[in-house]
Amino acid sequence: MNPDILSGLGQSTALLPLLSTCIGVLAGLIVGMIPGLTISTGIIVVLPVTFVLPPDISIALLLGLYVGGMTGGSFSAVLLNIPGTPSASATGIDGFPLSSRGEAGRALGVAITASFVGGLFSFVCLLLIAPLLAEIALEFRSEDMFSLVFFGLTIICSFAARSLVKGLLSGALGLALVTIGQDPVMGTQRFTFGEANLMAGVSFLTALIGLFAIPQIIDNLLNKDRVKFAQTKVRSVFPKLRDLIAIRIPVFIGSLTGAFLGILPGAGGPIAAFISYDYSRKASKEPEQFGKGSVEGVAAPESANNAVTGGALIPMMTLGIPGDPVTAILIGALIVHGLAPGPLLFLERGDFAYSMIFSFFWANIFNFIIAILGVRFLVKLVAAPRALLMPTVAVLCVVGSYALRNNFFDVYIMLFFGCLGLAMRWLDMPVVPMLLALVLGRQLEENLRVALVASQGDVSVFFTSPISLTFLCLSALSIVWSLKTAGKQNQSNPKEPKS
Amino acid sequence: MRNKNISAAIVLIIFGIFYGFLTANLPDRSLPNTPSPAFFPWIITGVILVLSVWLLVRGLRQPKAESEPIDMAKLRLAATAMVFFLLYLVIMPVLGFVLATLPFFAAMMVLYGEKRPIWIGSGAVGVTAVLYIVFRHGFGVFLPQGLLRGIIT
Repeated sequence: MNPDILSGLGQSTALLPLLSTCIGVLAGLIVGMIPGLTISTGIIVVLPVTFVLPPDISIALLLGLYVGGMTGGSFSAVLLNIPGTPSASATGIDGFPLSSRGEAGRALGVAITASFVGGLFSFVCLLLIAPLLAEIALEFRSEDMFSLVFFGLTIICSFAARSLVKGLLSGALGLALVTIGQDPVMGTQRFTFGEANLMAGVSFLTALIGLFAIPQIIDNLLNKDRVKFAQTKVRSVFPKLRDLIAIRIPVFIGSLTGAFLGILPGAGGPIAAFISYDYSRKASKEPEQFGKGSVEGVAAPESANNAVTGGALIPMMTLGIPGDPVTAILIGALIVHGLAPGPLLFLERGDFAYSMIFSFFWANIFNFIIAILGVRFLVKLVAAPRALLMPTVAVLCVVGSYALRNNFFDVYIMLFFGCLGLAMRWLDMPVVPMLLALVLGRQLEENLRVALVASQGDVSVFFTSPISLTFLCLSALSIVWSLKTAGKQNQSNPKEPKS
Repeated sequence: MRNKNISAAIVLIIFGIFYGFLTANLPDRSLPNTPSPAFFPWIITGVILVLSVWLLVRGLRQPKAESEPIDMAKLRLAATAMVFFLLYLVIMPVLGFVLATLPFFAAMMVLYGEKRPIWIGSGAVGVTAVLYIVFRHGFGVFLPQGLLRGIIT
């Protein structure tokens, strides 16, 4: 057996990483269930803590939060019909009717169990597929890597469903911001205006805190009266045998769909949840019950959105390509610790790569235990006082951006990105494309230029390499599909042309 | 939406021209047959300008609709919060983390609708103290001490 597997298992099973995973799961469940807080915000809040912790402990904390957040999102979807996270949107369709007729405990129990199975299934996929993919990716040359990163950037199109041109512009602005600082090949200073603090470029995590957290703080402020909380009594959450039998097929469909769509960049939890919900309804013996409080309708999306987590970690760990915003943040957290995700992670730090995979496994185990035992107490936090919560998030944004380099300049950069995020929100411009461009932009430029240097400026190198050509074809397909989708939206809503 | 699209397009065209101007002034340190440091920024300049013009054309082609009313109360609230944020960042290097966070936290609680003075006071003091102790002593982050240098550790 690969010694890195045993070493990784040992590292992830040490006391501190296990404790860290537990705390992460608990934090994730809380963050996920509070409407107005997303998993991304939760990760941003704990980021400053991870800067000072050893990498295995900090990544265990973040993975716990990722897994817990996915499950936590379903709690408010079931109890309030307000999904705590976008991935839980489909859960409320059947979860809330169940809750409304006094079966909140049953719905939550099914959601937690389905999340557990989906998460474990994606762990198996991660464990089996990631090392193989990393081995293949080791053969990639710079032209292949350029085309791969370019394909990863076409995710932008799927996050720009409402307006393709605005999504692309957001991505282009992100690429422009990445060019600040030393250029990756010759070290020439670009766009620094003589400011020494900009020589190393704009910190991705600082930008991220501003782009995501500040608009959310303001959004919560402007909509503070939006959510009226009603306390729902949650009784026994342990699923009954007949429910477990009823959900076996939806859980299977959800796990498979979620893990597969998780691997594809850009698909993400919400899409996986809705697709598996639809497939499960078609496969069900009682499709007419869907939408009226069917446990199958709760299980399918819940298993899918948790299966997405392990699936999204596969391209993130092996290729350095984020599958969703959360894995993009995880890449940033790894880079802070000097660990660049990609095929070399398995070659040079195989023990760490496997400790990450096994921490993900423990996160799913703890997620099930904590959720099933603690859900009756945790749901009371759905109505946590915003007046205390959001100012704390605001202060943590400042501490987080400052703690990255103990430099106050980064705090001003964070505020700049906060204002940019607010302006983009006002203009209906998505911020996720900018985030992806900030993560992938440097790799894109570096591989493009290195490939051109190696080929003496011959661009045909991108089309003669079979791997590169494959990724370029996939990119073209991805863009054409997005344009087609945008075209269909324009036809269905002619009054408001989507650009 | 029409006005927003046109405004965004104009701002981005100006940004694209400015970015292109800066790119044109980048030092040329390229080797023969290899792309210079300005190569990638030129591509981005082109992409931004093309997309901005596309957005502008789309915006101009959209039918003129009645402009959406701006909720001035909400705008004031958001602006106040951002001013508080800016003031917080300006005073923190001088006053230090603790003395700057106390009024900022209390002010934000008031903005979020908290009216009970005891809750505001205890929330501001409690959260500030916990965050300072956890990050300064728990995680070794050197948060600015400002006026309290020598008084608190």
